[in-house]
Amino acid sequence: MSVLHFDKHTNSFLLGVAGNLYQLCENRAKLLVKCGEVPDPGEKGEPVKKGEKAPRAEGPAYITGVATCGGCVAVISNNKVVETFDGDFQRVASTVAIKRPTSVQVTDKNVVISDKAGDAYSYNTDLTDRKYLLGHVSVVMDMVLSPDLQFLVTCDRDEKIRISHFPNCYNIHSYLLGHQEYVLKVLLLSPNLLVSVGGDQKVILWDLGTRKPLQTLNSPQDDYITVSYTEPYLLACNTRHVTVYKLTDNTLAQTSQLVTDHDIVDIATSDAHVALLTREPKLELYQFSGGVLSGKIEVEGEIDLSQCKDSALPEKKKVVRTAGFAEYFERKRKRIEEENLKEESKQAHLKG
Amino acid sequence: MTKVKYPQKRNYRQRAHSNPLSDHSFEYPLTPEVMDWTKLYPRFKPENEVKFCDIGCGYGGLLVTLSPMFPDTYMVGFEIRVKVSDYVNDRFLALRQDNEVYHNAGVIRTNAMKYLPNFFRKGQLEKMFILYPDPHFKKCKHKWRIVSEGLLAEYAYVLKVGGLVYTVSDVKEVHDWMVEHFTNFPLFERYDPSAEDKAAQVLIGSTEEGKKVLRNKGQSWTAIFRRVEDPYQVN
Repeated sequence: MSVLHFDKHTNSFLLGVAGNLYQLCENRAKLLVKCGEVPDPGEKGEPVKKGEKAPRAEGPAYITGVATCGGCVAVISNNKVVETFDGDFQRVASTVAIKRPTSVQVTDKNVVISDKAGDAYSYNTDLTDRKYLLGHVSVVMDMVLSPDLQFLVTCDRDEKIRISHFPNCYNIHSYLLGHQEYVLKVLLLSPNLLVSVGGDQKVILWDLGTRKPLQTLNSPQDDYITVSYTEPYLLACNTRHVTVYKLTDNTLAQTSQLVTDHDIVDIATSDAHVALLTREPKLELYQFSGGVLSGKIEVEGEIDLSQCKDSALPEKKKVVRTAGFAEYFERKRKRIEEENLKEESKQAHLKG
Repeated sequence: MTKVKYPQKRNYRQRAHSNPLSDHSFEYPLTPEVMDWTKLYPRFKPENEVKFCDIGCGYGGLLVTLSPMFPDTYMVGFEIRVKVSDYVNDRFLALRQDNEVYHNAGVIRTNAMKYLPNFFRKGQLEKMFILYPDPHFKKCKHKWRIVSEGLLAEYAYVLKVGGLVYTVSDVKEVHDWMVEHFTNFPLFERYDPSAEDKAAQVLIGSTEEGKKVLRNKGQSWTAIFRRVEDPYQVN
Protein backbone atom coordinates (compact mmCIF):
# COMPACT_ATOMS: atom_id res chain seq x y z
CA MET A 1 0.00 0.00 0.00
CA SER A 2 1.38 3.32 -0.96
CA VAL A 3 -0.84 6.29 -0.25
CA LEU A 4 1.90 8.90 -0.07
CA HIS A 5 3.62 9.57 -3.36
CA PHE A 6 6.02 12.21 -4.62
CA ASP A 7 5.07 13.40 -8.09
CA LYS A 8 8.04 14.77 -10.01
CA HIS A 9 5.87 16.30 -12.70
CA THR A 10 4.05 18.69 -10.34
CA ASN A 11 6.87 18.71 -7.77
CA SER A 12 4.37 17.93 -5.03
CA PHE A 13 3.36 15.14 -2.69
CA LEU A 14 0.13 13.29 -3.38
CA LEU A 15 -1.75 11.73 -0.50
CA GLY A 16 -4.71 9.39 -0.60
CA VAL A 17 -6.91 9.35 2.49
CA ALA A 18 -10.13 7.39 2.36
CA GLY A 19 -11.54 8.34 -1.05
CA ASN A 20 -9.83 11.74 -1.20
CA LEU A 21 -6.71 12.54 -3.16
CA TYR A 22 -4.83 15.50 -1.69
CA GLN A 23 -1.91 17.46 -3.01
CA LEU A 24 0.76 18.95 -0.80
CA CYS A 25 2.44 21.93 -2.56
CA GLU A 26 5.14 23.46 -0.39
CA ASN A 27 3.31 23.18 2.93
CA ARG A 28 -0.23 23.75 1.63
CA ALA A 29 -2.56 20.80 1.37
CA LYS A 30 -5.56 20.91 -0.92
CA LEU A 31 -8.17 18.40 -1.97
CA LEU A 32 -7.62 17.50 -5.61
CA VAL A 33 -10.33 15.02 -6.41
CA LYS A 34 -12.59 12.35 -4.95
CA CYS A 35 -11.56 8.89 -6.07
CA GLY A 36 -13.06 5.44 -6.13
CA GLU A 37 -16.41 6.46 -7.54
CA VAL A 38 -17.91 3.51 -9.31
CA PRO A 39 -17.90 4.02 -13.07
CA ASP A 40 -21.16 4.05 -14.97
CA PRO A 41 -21.72 0.39 -15.89
CA GLY A 42 -23.57 1.28 -19.10
CA GLU A 43 -20.81 3.20 -20.80
CA LYS A 44 -17.57 1.29 -20.99
CA GLY A 45 -15.76 -0.91 -18.53
CA GLU A 46 -14.73 -4.50 -18.64
CA PRO A 47 -15.74 -6.46 -21.70
CA VAL A 48 -17.76 -9.25 -20.12
CA LYS A 49 -17.68 -12.77 -21.51
CA LYS A 50 -20.95 -14.58 -21.89
CA GLY A 51 -21.97 -16.31 -18.68
CA GLU A 52 -19.57 -14.29 -16.58
CA LYS A 53 -20.48 -11.57 -14.17
CA ALA A 54 -19.01 -8.12 -14.60
CA PRO A 55 -16.66 -7.29 -11.74
CA ARG A 56 -18.43 -5.22 -9.12
CA ALA A 57 -17.05 -2.50 -6.90
CA GLU A 58 -17.35 -3.41 -3.23
CA GLY A 59 -17.54 -1.22 -0.17
CA PRO A 60 -16.59 2.43 0.28
CA ALA A 61 -13.67 3.82 -1.68
CA TYR A 62 -10.36 3.82 0.08
CA ILE A 63 -7.26 4.75 -1.89
CA THR A 64 -4.56 2.08 -1.66
CA GLY A 65 -2.16 3.19 -4.36
CA VAL A 66 -1.13 6.26 -6.34
CA ALA A 67 1.32 6.29 -9.25
CA THR A 68 2.37 9.03 -11.65
CA CYS A 69 4.30 9.31 -14.87
CA GLY A 70 4.69 12.63 -16.61
CA GLY A 71 1.22 14.11 -16.62
CA CYS A 72 -0.54 10.80 -16.11
CA VAL A 73 -1.88 9.79 -12.70
CA ALA A 74 -3.30 6.39 -11.78
CA VAL A 75 -5.14 5.64 -8.54
CA ILE A 76 -6.40 2.32 -7.17
CA SER A 77 -8.94 1.89 -4.38
CA ASN A 78 -9.81 -1.08 -2.23
CA ASN A 79 -13.32 -1.13 -3.69
CA LYS A 80 -11.62 -2.35 -6.91
CA VAL A 81 -11.94 0.94 -8.80
CA VAL A 82 -8.96 1.87 -11.00
CA GLU A 83 -8.82 5.44 -12.28
CA THR A 84 -6.60 7.62 -14.42
CA PHE A 85 -6.27 11.41 -14.35
CA ASP A 86 -4.47 13.91 -16.54
CA GLY A 87 -1.87 16.47 -15.40
CA ASP A 88 -4.63 18.80 -14.16
CA PHE A 89 -6.17 15.92 -12.19
CA GLN A 90 -9.18 15.72 -14.44
CA ARG A 91 -10.51 12.17 -14.61
CA VAL A 92 -9.62 10.46 -17.88
CA ALA A 93 -11.14 7.05 -17.28
CA SER A 94 -12.18 4.60 -14.60
CA THR A 95 -12.94 0.92 -14.47
CA VAL A 96 -13.48 -1.89 -11.97
CA ALA A 97 -10.69 -4.46 -11.61
CA ILE A 98 -11.42 -8.20 -11.44
CA LYS A 99 -9.90 -8.56 -7.97
CA ARG A 100 -8.92 -6.06 -5.33
CA PRO A 101 -5.86 -4.22 -6.65
CA THR A 102 -2.76 -4.17 -4.46
CA SER A 103 -0.35 -1.91 -6.33
CA VAL A 104 -0.23 0.28 -9.41
CA GLN A 105 2.38 1.51 -11.88
CA VAL A 106 1.84 3.86 -14.77
CA THR A 107 3.72 4.73 -17.95
CA ASP A 108 2.72 7.14 -20.69
CA LYS A 109 1.04 4.21 -22.48
CA ASN A 110 -0.04 1.73 -19.80
CA VAL A 111 -1.51 1.32 -16.36
CA VAL A 112 -0.27 -1.84 -14.67
CA ILE A 113 -2.02 -3.22 -11.61
CA SER A 114 -1.37 -6.22 -9.41
CA ASP A 115 -4.10 -7.86 -7.37
CA LYS A 116 -5.01 -9.89 -4.33
CA ALA A 117 -5.32 -13.07 -6.41
CA GLY A 118 -1.65 -12.79 -7.40
CA ASP A 119 -2.18 -11.60 -10.97
CA ALA A 120 -0.94 -8.53 -12.79
CA TYR A 121 -2.73 -6.83 -15.66
CA SER A 122 -1.88 -4.05 -18.02
CA TYR A 123 -4.44 -1.54 -19.30
CA ASN A 124 -4.12 1.21 -21.85
CA THR A 125 -4.44 4.65 -20.23
CA ASP A 126 -8.14 4.98 -21.07
CA LEU A 127 -8.64 1.64 -19.29
CA THR A 128 -10.63 0.02 -22.08
CA ASP A 129 -8.26 -2.80 -23.00
CA ARG A 130 -7.04 -5.23 -20.34
CA LYS A 131 -4.17 -7.68 -20.84
CA TYR A 132 -3.10 -10.46 -18.48
CA LEU A 133 0.59 -10.14 -17.65
CA LEU A 134 1.53 -12.72 -15.03
CA GLY A 135 0.31 -14.69 -12.05
CA HIS A 136 1.75 -15.60 -8.67
CA VAL A 137 0.07 -18.19 -6.44
CA SER A 138 -0.21 -15.72 -3.58
CA VAL A 139 -1.00 -12.02 -3.18
CA VAL A 140 1.27 -9.71 -5.15
CA MET A 141 2.08 -7.11 -2.50
CA ASP A 142 4.02 -4.63 -4.60
CA MET A 143 5.62 -4.17 -7.99
CA VAL A 144 7.88 -1.79 -9.86
CA LEU A 145 8.49 -1.21 -13.55
CA SER A 146 12.06 -0.50 -14.58
CA PRO A 147 12.43 3.04 -15.98
CA ASP A 148 13.43 1.63 -19.39
CA LEU A 149 10.19 -0.45 -19.32
CA GLN A 150 12.12 -3.65 -20.03
CA PHE A 151 11.28 -5.40 -16.75
CA LEU A 152 8.47 -5.74 -14.25
CA VAL A 153 9.46 -6.68 -10.71
CA THR A 154 6.72 -8.24 -8.57
CA CYS A 155 6.90 -9.46 -4.99
CA ASP A 156 4.51 -11.77 -3.18
CA ARG A 157 3.38 -13.11 0.16
CA ASP A 158 5.42 -16.28 -0.44
CA GLU A 159 8.86 -14.70 0.03
CA LYS A 160 9.49 -14.28 -3.68
CA ILE A 161 10.63 -11.42 -5.84
CA ARG A 162 10.13 -12.16 -9.51
CA ILE A 163 11.67 -10.22 -12.39
CA SER A 164 9.73 -10.65 -15.63
CA HIS A 165 10.44 -9.27 -19.05
CA PHE A 166 8.00 -6.50 -19.97
CA PRO A 167 5.54 -6.50 -21.65
CA ASN A 168 6.20 -10.18 -22.41
CA CYS A 169 5.85 -11.03 -18.73
CA TYR A 170 5.24 -14.74 -19.44
CA ASN A 171 9.03 -14.86 -19.83
CA ILE A 172 10.53 -14.82 -16.34
CA HIS A 173 13.96 -13.24 -16.29
CA SER A 174 14.93 -14.30 -12.76
CA TYR A 175 14.01 -14.55 -9.10
CA LEU A 176 15.53 -12.81 -6.11
CA LEU A 177 15.40 -15.35 -3.29
CA GLY A 178 16.47 -14.38 0.21
CA HIS A 179 13.49 -13.24 2.23
CA GLN A 180 11.92 -15.67 4.68
CA GLU A 181 8.57 -13.98 5.02
CA TYR A 182 6.24 -11.96 2.78
CA VAL A 183 7.87 -9.27 0.65
CA LEU A 184 6.06 -6.01 1.24
CA LYS A 185 7.76 -3.60 -1.09
CA VAL A 186 10.26 -3.42 -3.94
CA LEU A 187 12.08 -0.30 -5.09
CA LEU A 188 14.61 0.22 -7.89
CA LEU A 189 17.51 2.47 -6.93
CA SER A 190 19.43 2.21 -10.21
CA PRO A 191 19.45 -0.16 -13.20
CA ASN A 192 21.54 -2.58 -11.16
CA LEU A 193 20.25 -2.08 -7.61
CA LEU A 194 16.98 -3.03 -5.99
CA VAL A 195 15.77 -2.74 -2.42
CA SER A 196 13.12 -5.01 -0.91
CA VAL A 197 11.26 -4.89 2.41
CA GLY A 198 10.36 -8.21 3.98
CA GLY A 199 8.13 -9.34 6.82
CA ASP A 200 11.22 -11.09 8.15
CA GLN A 201 12.35 -7.73 9.59
CA LYS A 202 14.85 -7.32 6.80
CA VAL A 203 15.55 -4.78 4.11
CA ILE A 204 17.74 -6.32 1.41
CA LEU A 205 19.84 -4.43 -1.11
CA TRP A 206 20.15 -6.62 -4.23
CA ASP A 207 22.68 -6.69 -7.04
CA LEU A 208 20.52 -7.29 -10.10
CA GLY A 209 23.52 -8.55 -12.07
CA THR A 210 24.38 -11.41 -9.75
CA ARG A 211 20.86 -11.57 -8.19
CA LYS A 212 22.50 -11.86 -4.79
CA PRO A 213 22.04 -9.70 -1.70
CA LEU A 214 24.73 -7.03 -1.36
CA GLN A 215 23.64 -5.93 2.07
CA THR A 216 20.90 -6.74 4.56
CA LEU A 217 19.50 -4.27 7.08
CA ASN A 218 18.08 -5.92 10.18
CA SER A 219 15.43 -4.50 12.45
CA PRO A 220 15.48 -6.94 15.35
CA GLN A 221 12.75 -5.16 17.34
CA ASP A 222 9.96 -4.75 14.84
CA ASP A 223 8.93 -5.00 11.22
CA TYR A 224 10.02 -2.65 8.51
CA ILE A 225 7.03 -0.78 7.16
CA THR A 226 8.33 0.79 3.97
CA VAL A 227 11.31 2.41 2.26
CA SER A 228 11.73 5.50 0.13
CA TYR A 229 14.64 6.64 -2.01
CA THR A 230 15.90 10.01 -3.12
CA GLU A 231 19.32 9.78 -4.66
CA PRO A 232 21.63 8.95 -2.85
CA TYR A 233 19.59 8.47 0.33
CA LEU A 234 17.47 5.50 1.33
CA LEU A 235 14.93 6.07 4.09
CA ALA A 236 13.90 2.85 5.85
CA CYS A 237 10.92 2.99 8.22
CA ASN A 238 10.08 0.60 10.96
CA THR A 239 7.26 1.23 13.40
CA ARG A 240 8.61 4.42 14.95
CA HIS A 241 11.95 5.08 13.29
CA VAL A 242 13.00 6.66 10.05
CA THR A 243 16.59 5.62 9.44
CA VAL A 244 18.45 7.38 6.66
CA TYR A 245 21.23 5.59 4.76
CA LYS A 246 23.55 7.02 2.17
CA LEU A 247 24.28 4.85 -0.83
CA THR A 248 27.94 4.93 -1.89
CA ASP A 249 29.64 2.25 -3.99
CA ASN A 250 26.71 -0.18 -3.61
CA THR A 251 26.83 0.12 0.17
CA LEU A 252 24.35 1.72 2.54
CA ALA A 253 25.79 3.62 5.50
CA GLN A 254 23.57 5.17 8.15
CA THR A 255 23.59 8.97 8.26
CA SER A 256 20.79 9.77 10.68
CA GLN A 257 17.72 8.51 12.46
CA LEU A 258 14.45 10.13 13.44
CA VAL A 259 12.22 8.77 16.18
CA THR A 260 8.55 9.51 15.60
CA ASP A 261 5.84 10.01 18.22
CA HIS A 262 3.38 7.77 16.41
CA ASP A 263 3.46 4.61 14.31
CA ILE A 264 4.42 5.21 10.70
CA VAL A 265 1.95 4.40 7.92
CA ASP A 266 3.78 5.66 4.85
CA ILE A 267 6.61 7.90 3.70
CA ALA A 268 7.55 9.79 0.54
CA THR A 269 10.59 11.85 -0.29
CA SER A 270 11.57 14.63 -2.68
CA ASP A 271 15.13 15.93 -2.88
CA ALA A 272 14.38 18.58 -0.26
CA HIS A 273 11.46 17.27 1.78
CA VAL A 274 10.15 14.18 3.50
CA ALA A 275 6.42 13.62 4.03
CA LEU A 276 5.42 11.20 6.72
CA LEU A 277 1.96 9.82 7.46
CA THR A 278 1.52 8.42 10.96
CA ARG A 279 -1.23 6.52 12.66
CA GLU A 280 -2.27 9.43 14.92
CA PRO A 281 -3.35 10.16 12.14
CA LYS A 282 -1.04 12.98 11.29
CA LEU A 283 0.76 14.24 8.21
CA GLU A 284 4.23 15.54 8.98
CA LEU A 285 6.53 17.39 6.67
CA TYR A 286 10.29 17.70 7.24
CA GLN A 287 13.09 19.52 5.53
CA PHE A 288 15.63 17.05 4.23
CA SER A 289 19.23 17.85 3.42
CA GLY A 290 22.56 16.12 3.73
CA GLY A 291 20.86 12.89 4.78
CA VAL A 292 19.22 14.47 7.83
CA LEU A 293 15.56 15.17 8.53
CA SER A 294 15.25 18.54 10.19
CA GLY A 295 12.92 21.47 10.60
CA LYS A 296 9.40 20.16 10.87
CA ILE A 297 7.12 22.28 8.70
CA GLU A 298 3.51 22.98 9.68
CA VAL A 299 1.11 21.65 7.07
CA GLU A 300 -1.65 24.14 6.30
CA GLY A 301 -4.94 23.78 4.53
CA GLU A 302 -8.01 21.65 4.76
CA ILE A 303 -7.10 18.03 5.13
CA ASP A 304 -9.31 15.43 6.77
CA LEU A 305 -7.23 12.59 8.11
CA SER A 306 -9.93 11.16 10.37
CA GLN A 307 -10.76 8.43 7.85
CA CYS A 308 -7.14 7.38 7.59
CA LYS A 309 -6.81 3.70 8.37
CA ASP A 310 -4.47 0.84 7.81
CA SER A 311 -3.89 -1.19 4.72
CA ALA A 312 -6.81 -3.21 3.46
CA LEU A 313 -4.47 -5.97 2.36
CA PRO A 314 -5.34 -9.48 3.48
CA GLU A 315 -3.50 -11.30 6.19
CA LYS A 316 0.21 -11.16 5.48
CA LYS A 317 1.99 -13.58 7.74
CA LYS A 318 1.60 -17.24 7.04
CA VAL A 319 -0.42 -19.51 9.23
CA VAL A 320 1.45 -22.73 8.71
CA ARG A 321 -0.38 -25.97 9.25
CA THR A 322 1.75 -28.76 10.61
CA ALA A 323 -0.95 -30.70 12.46
CA GLY A 324 -0.90 -34.42 11.79
CA PHE A 325 2.71 -34.90 10.62
CA ALA A 326 4.21 -35.82 13.96
CA GLU A 327 1.29 -38.10 14.74
CA TYR A 328 1.65 -39.84 11.40
CA PHE A 329 5.34 -40.54 11.85
CA GLU A 330 4.73 -41.68 15.44
CA ARG A 331 2.02 -44.11 14.28
CA LYS A 332 4.37 -45.33 11.55
CA ARG A 333 7.18 -45.93 14.05
CA LYS A 334 4.84 -47.97 16.27
CA ARG A 335 3.54 -49.95 13.31
CA ILE A 336 7.05 -50.89 12.21
CA GLU A 337 7.99 -51.83 15.78
CA GLU A 338 4.95 -54.10 16.00
CA GLU A 339 5.71 -55.66 12.64
CA ASN A 340 9.28 -56.35 13.72
CA LEU A 341 8.09 -57.91 16.98
CA LYS A 342 5.66 -60.13 15.11
CA GLU A 343 8.43 -61.14 12.74
CA GLU A 344 10.72 -62.00 15.62
CA SER A 345 8.15 -64.11 17.43
CA LYS A 346 7.37 -65.86 14.17
CA GLN A 347 11.06 -66.66 13.68
CA ALA A 348 11.35 -67.82 17.29
CA HIS A 349 8.27 -69.98 16.80
CA LEU A 350 9.73 -71.57 13.66
CA LYS A 351 13.03 -72.28 15.35
CA GLY A 352 11.36 -73.58 18.51
CA MET B 1 20.09 -63.12 3.43
CA THR B 2 16.95 -61.34 4.59
CA LYS B 3 14.42 -60.33 2.04
CA VAL B 4 14.09 -56.55 1.49
CA LYS B 5 10.87 -55.26 2.99
CA TYR B 6 8.89 -53.11 0.56
CA PRO B 7 6.45 -50.55 1.87
CA GLN B 8 2.80 -51.60 1.76
CA LYS B 9 0.57 -49.03 0.08
CA ARG B 10 -2.26 -49.73 2.53
CA ASN B 11 -0.17 -48.14 5.27
CA TYR B 12 0.24 -44.90 3.33
CA ARG B 13 -3.25 -44.17 2.05
CA GLN B 14 -4.25 -40.55 1.96
CA ARG B 15 -7.11 -38.52 0.57
CA ALA B 16 -6.45 -37.70 -3.08
CA HIS B 17 -6.83 -33.94 -2.79
CA SER B 18 -4.85 -31.24 -1.11
CA ASN B 19 -5.24 -27.47 -1.15
CA PRO B 20 -2.14 -26.28 -2.97
CA LEU B 21 -2.73 -22.63 -2.09
CA SER B 22 -2.81 -22.96 1.69
CA ASP B 23 0.28 -22.64 3.85
CA HIS B 24 1.53 -26.12 4.58
CA SER B 25 4.78 -26.59 6.35
CA PHE B 26 7.55 -27.56 3.98
CA GLU B 27 11.27 -27.69 4.09
CA TYR B 28 12.75 -26.08 1.04
CA PRO B 29 16.06 -24.44 0.18
CA LEU B 30 16.21 -20.65 0.10
CA THR B 31 17.94 -20.89 -3.29
CA PRO B 32 18.82 -23.79 -5.63
CA GLU B 33 22.54 -23.36 -4.79
CA VAL B 34 22.03 -24.32 -1.14
CA MET B 35 19.90 -27.40 -1.89
CA ASP B 36 21.58 -30.53 -0.57
CA TRP B 37 20.63 -33.27 -3.04
CA THR B 38 22.98 -35.80 -1.43
CA LYS B 39 20.28 -36.41 1.16
CA LEU B 40 18.14 -37.73 -1.67
CA TYR B 41 20.69 -39.55 -3.82
CA PRO B 42 23.52 -41.62 -2.29
CA ARG B 43 25.90 -41.08 -5.23
CA PHE B 44 25.10 -37.43 -6.01
CA LYS B 45 28.23 -35.37 -6.78
CA PRO B 46 28.48 -31.57 -6.69
CA GLU B 47 28.76 -31.46 -10.49
CA ASN B 48 25.50 -33.44 -10.90
CA GLU B 49 22.14 -31.80 -11.46
CA VAL B 50 18.58 -33.06 -11.30
CA LYS B 51 17.19 -33.03 -14.83
CA PHE B 52 13.72 -34.62 -14.59
CA CYS B 53 10.89 -33.55 -12.33
CA ASP B 54 7.61 -35.41 -11.90
CA ILE B 55 5.10 -32.85 -10.62
CA GLY B 56 2.65 -34.60 -8.32
CA CYS B 57 4.41 -37.96 -8.58
CA GLY B 58 1.82 -39.78 -6.45
CA TYR B 59 3.02 -43.27 -5.54
CA GLY B 60 6.10 -42.90 -7.76
CA GLY B 61 5.31 -45.44 -10.48
CA LEU B 62 6.67 -43.31 -13.31
CA LEU B 63 9.98 -42.66 -11.53
CA VAL B 64 10.40 -46.37 -10.80
CA THR B 65 10.05 -47.00 -14.55
CA LEU B 66 12.22 -44.08 -15.69
CA SER B 67 15.05 -44.63 -13.20
CA PRO B 68 16.60 -47.69 -14.93
CA MET B 69 15.74 -46.30 -18.39
CA PHE B 70 17.85 -43.17 -17.75
CA PRO B 71 20.56 -44.52 -15.43
CA ASP B 72 22.74 -41.38 -15.68
CA THR B 73 19.97 -38.88 -15.07
CA TYR B 74 18.93 -37.64 -11.66
CA MET B 75 15.16 -37.37 -11.31
CA VAL B 76 12.90 -36.14 -8.55
CA GLY B 77 9.22 -36.47 -7.77
CA PHE B 78 7.33 -33.68 -6.04
CA GLU B 79 4.37 -34.80 -3.97
CA ILE B 80 2.40 -32.62 -1.57
CA ARG B 81 0.81 -35.41 0.54
CA VAL B 82 2.82 -36.47 3.59
CA LYS B 83 2.02 -40.18 3.61
CA VAL B 84 2.22 -40.60 -0.15
CA SER B 85 5.63 -38.93 -0.41
CA ASP B 86 6.78 -40.98 2.58
CA TYR B 87 5.68 -44.12 0.74
CA VAL B 88 7.70 -43.17 -2.36
CA ASN B 89 10.72 -42.45 -0.21
CA ASP B 90 10.47 -45.84 1.53
CA ARG B 91 9.88 -47.45 -1.84
CA PHE B 92 13.15 -46.12 -3.28
CA LEU B 93 15.08 -47.02 -0.14
CA ALA B 94 13.80 -50.60 -0.47
CA LEU B 95 14.38 -50.75 -4.23
CA ARG B 96 17.98 -49.60 -3.80
CA GLN B 97 18.67 -52.38 -1.34
CA ASP B 98 17.72 -54.86 -4.05
CA ASN B 99 19.22 -53.00 -7.00
CA GLU B 100 21.49 -49.99 -6.99
CA VAL B 101 20.17 -48.90 -10.36
CA TYR B 102 17.52 -46.94 -8.44
CA HIS B 103 20.13 -44.60 -6.94
CA ASN B 104 19.09 -41.75 -9.26
CA ALA B 105 15.45 -41.29 -8.24
CA GLY B 106 13.99 -39.68 -5.16
CA VAL B 107 11.01 -37.78 -3.81
CA ILE B 108 10.50 -34.47 -2.01
CA ARG B 109 7.38 -33.51 -0.14
CA THR B 110 6.75 -30.04 -1.43
CA ASN B 111 4.33 -27.79 -3.23
CA ALA B 112 5.39 -27.49 -6.86
CA MET B 113 3.15 -24.46 -7.29
CA LYS B 114 5.17 -22.48 -4.80
CA TYR B 115 8.72 -23.75 -4.61
CA LEU B 116 9.98 -24.72 -8.09
CA PRO B 117 12.41 -21.75 -8.30
CA ASN B 118 13.78 -22.66 -4.85
CA PHE B 119 14.87 -26.07 -6.13
CA PHE B 120 15.86 -25.44 -9.76
CA ARG B 121 17.84 -22.73 -11.46
CA LYS B 122 16.65 -21.22 -14.73
CA GLY B 123 16.74 -23.74 -17.57
CA GLN B 124 17.90 -26.63 -15.40
CA LEU B 125 15.28 -29.24 -16.26
CA GLU B 126 15.16 -31.37 -19.40
CA LYS B 127 11.84 -33.05 -18.75
CA MET B 128 8.80 -32.38 -16.62
CA PHE B 129 5.90 -34.74 -16.10
CA ILE B 130 2.37 -33.75 -15.18
CA LEU B 131 0.48 -37.05 -15.14
CA TYR B 132 -3.10 -37.46 -14.00
CA PRO B 133 -3.26 -34.12 -12.17
CA ASP B 134 -6.05 -33.47 -9.69
CA PRO B 135 -8.89 -32.36 -12.00
CA HIS B 136 -10.48 -29.75 -9.67
CA PHE B 137 -13.73 -29.73 -11.64
CA LYS B 138 -15.47 -26.82 -9.96
CA LYS B 139 -14.86 -23.52 -11.68
CA CYS B 140 -13.97 -21.83 -8.41
CA LYS B 141 -11.23 -24.43 -7.93
CA HIS B 142 -9.69 -23.94 -11.38
CA LYS B 143 -7.01 -21.77 -9.83
CA TRP B 144 -5.92 -24.88 -7.88
CA ARG B 145 -5.12 -26.67 -11.13
CA ILE B 146 -1.45 -27.42 -11.70
CA VAL B 147 -1.68 -25.98 -15.20
CA SER B 148 -2.58 -22.30 -15.39
CA GLU B 149 -1.26 -19.35 -17.34
CA GLY B 150 0.63 -18.04 -14.32
CA LEU B 151 2.25 -21.36 -13.48
CA LEU B 152 3.28 -22.08 -17.08
CA ALA B 153 5.66 -19.12 -16.78
CA GLU B 154 7.37 -20.91 -13.87
CA TYR B 155 7.54 -24.21 -15.74
CA ALA B 156 9.06 -22.39 -18.72
CA TYR B 157 11.56 -20.76 -16.35
CA VAL B 158 12.91 -24.03 -14.89
CA LEU B 159 12.89 -25.87 -18.25
CA LYS B 160 15.72 -25.47 -20.71
CA VAL B 161 14.89 -24.36 -24.24
CA GLY B 162 14.10 -27.60 -26.07
CA GLY B 163 13.01 -29.28 -22.82
CA LEU B 164 9.75 -31.22 -22.77
CA VAL B 165 6.62 -31.32 -20.62
CA TYR B 166 4.64 -34.56 -20.73
CA THR B 167 1.00 -34.37 -19.72
CA VAL B 168 -1.57 -37.15 -19.33
CA SER B 169 -5.11 -37.09 -18.02
CA ASP B 170 -8.01 -39.52 -17.97
CA VAL B 171 -10.37 -36.55 -17.82
CA LYS B 172 -10.96 -35.14 -21.30
CA GLU B 173 -11.89 -31.74 -19.93
CA VAL B 174 -8.60 -31.50 -18.06
CA HIS B 175 -6.61 -32.75 -21.06
CA ASP B 176 -8.28 -30.08 -23.23
CA TRP B 177 -7.57 -27.49 -20.54
CA MET B 178 -3.87 -28.39 -20.50
CA VAL B 179 -3.58 -28.44 -24.29
CA GLU B 180 -5.32 -25.08 -24.56
CA HIS B 181 -3.12 -23.44 -21.93
CA PHE B 182 0.17 -24.85 -23.21
CA THR B 183 -0.51 -24.13 -26.89
CA ASN B 184 -1.64 -20.57 -26.12
CA PHE B 185 1.48 -19.95 -24.05
CA PRO B 186 4.20 -18.27 -26.15
CA LEU B 187 7.07 -20.29 -24.62
CA PHE B 188 5.59 -23.73 -25.42
CA GLU B 189 4.59 -25.54 -28.58
CA ARG B 190 2.85 -28.88 -29.05
CA TYR B 191 5.43 -31.55 -29.76
CA ASP B 192 5.10 -34.84 -31.55
CA PRO B 193 7.58 -37.24 -29.97
CA SER B 194 9.84 -39.24 -32.22
CA ALA B 195 10.04 -43.01 -31.90
CA GLU B 196 13.26 -42.59 -29.91
CA ASP B 197 11.51 -40.73 -27.12
CA LYS B 198 11.61 -43.51 -24.57
CA ALA B 199 9.81 -41.53 -21.88
CA ALA B 200 6.76 -40.92 -24.06
CA GLN B 201 6.17 -44.64 -24.42
CA VAL B 202 5.87 -45.44 -20.73
CA LEU B 203 3.68 -42.58 -19.55
CA ILE B 204 0.41 -44.43 -19.19
CA GLY B 205 1.52 -47.96 -18.33
CA SER B 206 3.83 -47.08 -15.45
CA THR B 207 1.86 -44.86 -13.10
CA GLU B 208 -0.58 -46.19 -10.54
CA GLU B 209 -3.30 -43.87 -11.87
CA GLY B 210 -2.63 -45.00 -15.44
CA LYS B 211 -2.82 -48.67 -14.50
CA LYS B 212 -6.11 -48.05 -12.74
CA VAL B 213 -7.50 -46.38 -15.86
CA LEU B 214 -6.31 -49.32 -17.99
CA ARG B 215 -7.87 -51.82 -15.54
CA ASN B 216 -11.16 -50.00 -15.72
CA LYS B 217 -10.82 -49.92 -19.53
CA GLY B 218 -10.88 -46.13 -19.43
CA GLN B 219 -9.09 -43.76 -21.73
CA SER B 220 -6.05 -41.58 -21.11
CA TRP B 221 -5.07 -38.59 -23.22
CA THR B 222 -1.43 -37.64 -23.68
CA ALA B 223 0.05 -34.35 -24.88
CA ILE B 224 3.68 -33.28 -25.02
CA PHE B 225 4.97 -29.72 -25.25
CA ARG B 226 8.37 -28.25 -26.01
CA ARG B 227 9.91 -25.19 -24.42
CA VAL B 228 10.80 -22.74 -27.19
CA GLU B 229 12.67 -19.43 -27.29
CA ASP B 230 10.62 -16.34 -26.55
CA PRO B 231 9.14 -15.23 -29.88
CA TYR B 232 8.64 -11.68 -28.56
CA GLN B 233 10.09 -8.93 -30.72
CA VAL B 234 10.13 -5.25 -30.00
CA ASN B 235 8.24 -3.43 -32.71
